Amino acid sequence: MTFRNAYRKAVNNVMLTLTGVCAVITVSTLFIILAYLVYNGGKSVNLDFFIKLPLGTGETGGGMANAIVGSGEIILFASLIGIPIGFFTGVYLSEWGGQGSVYSFVVRYMNDLLNGVPSIVIGIFAATVLVKPLHHFSAIAGGFALSLMLIPITAKNTEQFLSEVPRALREGSYALGATKWRTIASVVVPAARKGIMTGIILGVARISGESAPLLFTSFNNQVWSNGIQDPVASLPVMIYSHAISPYDDWHRQAWAAGLVLLVLVLIANIAARLILTRGSSPGRG
Amino acid sequence: MKRIYCAASLVSLLFAGLASAAETINAAGASFPAPIYQKWFEEYKAKTGVAINYQGNGSSAGIKLLTDGTVDFAASDVPMTDDQIKAVKIKPLHFPTVLGAVVLTYNIPGVTADVQLSGPTIADIYLGAITKWNDPRIAADNKGIKLPATDIVVVHRSDGSGTTGIFTDYLAKVSPAWEKKVGRGNSVQWPTGLGGAQNAGVAGLVKQTPGSIGYVELIYAVQNKMGYASVKNAAGKFVKPSFEGVTAAAAGMKEMPEDFRVSIANGPGDKTYPISSFTWMLIPSQISDPAKKKAITGFLTWMLTEGQKDAQALSYAPLPPAVVAKEKKQIALIK
Repeated sequence: MTFRNAYRKAVNNVMLTLTGVCAVITVSTLFIILAYLVYNGGKSVNLDFFIKLPLGTGETGGGMANAIVGSGEIILFASLIGIPIGFFTGVYLSEWGGQGSVYSFVVRYMNDLLNGVPSIVIGIFAATVLVKPLHHFSAIAGGFALSLMLIPITAKNTEQFLSEVPRALREGSYALGATKWRTIASVVVPAARKGIMTGIILGVARISGESAPLLFTSFNNQVWSNGIQDPVASLPVMIYSHAISPYDDWHRQAWAAGLVLLVLVLIANIAARLILTRGSSPGRG
Repeated sequence: MKRIYCAASLVSLLFAGLASAAETINAAGASFPAPIYQKWFEEYKAKTGVAINYQGNGSSAGIKLLTDGTVDFAASDVPMTDDQIKAVKIKPLHFPTVLGAVVLTYNIPGVTADVQLSGPTIADIYLGAITKWNDPRIAADNKGIKLPATDIVVVHRSDGSGTTGIFTDYLAKVSPAWEKKVGRGNSVQWPTGLGGAQNAGVAGLVKQTPGSIGYVELIYAVQNKMGYASVKNAAGKFVKPSFEGVTAAAAGMKEMPEDFRVSIANGPGDKTYPISSFTWMLIPSQISDPAKKKAITGFLTWMLTEGQKDAQALSYAPLPPAVVAKEKKQIALIK
């Protein structure tokens, strides 16, 4: 008996240590990445980086003003396309797609598959349908590619938060004579608003660091983009092209771009947290 | 509701701002001349306001994008083949812009002196037949330099590249073994080595990999203060790649053909650097948008006169005057 107890205790301790170590590894990885990026990016970033255009290959100086704006532009398009489609898909799956429905099973399954498609493949697809036929690399094509990544993230997240809204709330609304549509629009969605918003912001943060889908859709630009139907510079593509180069000054700017991108994503994350904790969203989970 | 309205008007403002910018020409291709092209486009924009967006993503990519019609013009370090020209809807014209050198750049620990290499030795290194820096065949050309017994890490291009085209064309001319086993082309079956994207990628890999050797345009080695080899030319002399060596190679050319498609690899002359080449802009012979046509022909005219003065500072050689005169006539063919 005592032997068995000692054995169980030992196993418990080993597992506890193991999980603890893994947790420390996870957190410290994040901190090492952050510290390294802040260290290298911090000494690299300067005012020129925000207000100047990139210089030619091998020249020292210049900035990435066009890439910062370009990234914003592409993410805006991706959001305009991806968020509504993803959101309404999520609403459908949660409110109409019961367990028995074959259609929603297929949609849910496809949505998960789409979420797992490698981003480079999404880039090729967007290039084939939007770049080749129109003979134009464009900010829109880049936004379209990223929206394909945003849709499944938003849909899944929206469905999850909506289905966590207590059934009693829905029943109360029906009892007052509201139609199903009214119930969803005025009761269910507002109740899950904070969670949905957080999910969307995290999804947008997730796609904003993607370079692969942009390489052959929005391409790259040395100068200011001439419009939404023209190639446009973006921070992830700039990081890629600068990081593989042999120039020290380009490496510096790649670090700076990494830091700027990270700060933008962090701001989005923190904003998401604030929205979630503030106000009176019904408790979730 | 008010908030939504505000957001909408903000978005429309952004769009309006983006649409009102001036015309941009989009071009892509060779990374070999990218440093001078981007310098030219900056200067030309300052002078005329015409912005040209040039992405040096490789000669093969440039030709592909021209064929797809996704760029206004392309650039390549190797002339297009007849089949490639046929595949493009609007026939492209070849405009030589400058000449440059493909140099063998290396990172040998402990060696600061200039290494000398002969063509067949380079071919054997890239065939994987020579694997150590102290191989007797390398040592024979480098008396007085103590080469280490380090393994050679061969670096080549991973993308379709005109620089590769020039390099393999040269190797095929000097090494029958290379011609038989690998041959010429923008992308070849490399027997050995690591791949890097574009000239910058190869230079980056060589810089970071001790024992490595790679081939890039001269300016990439100069800008990064990397060692590069003197290469034995057809006259049997070792020539350090330089502005003068490339200029001599251009002078050794017999005659420029009508369509400007020419190779000058392994050319004659004591001072000639053997792995030299013209590099070309590929301009559609018909440009339907009058504003774009004016911008592109205007740039070509400027490039052939004012622009040539920038070449030497970036270690490229300017075009011989006879070629410039010939090209000026070709500009008139753009309809």
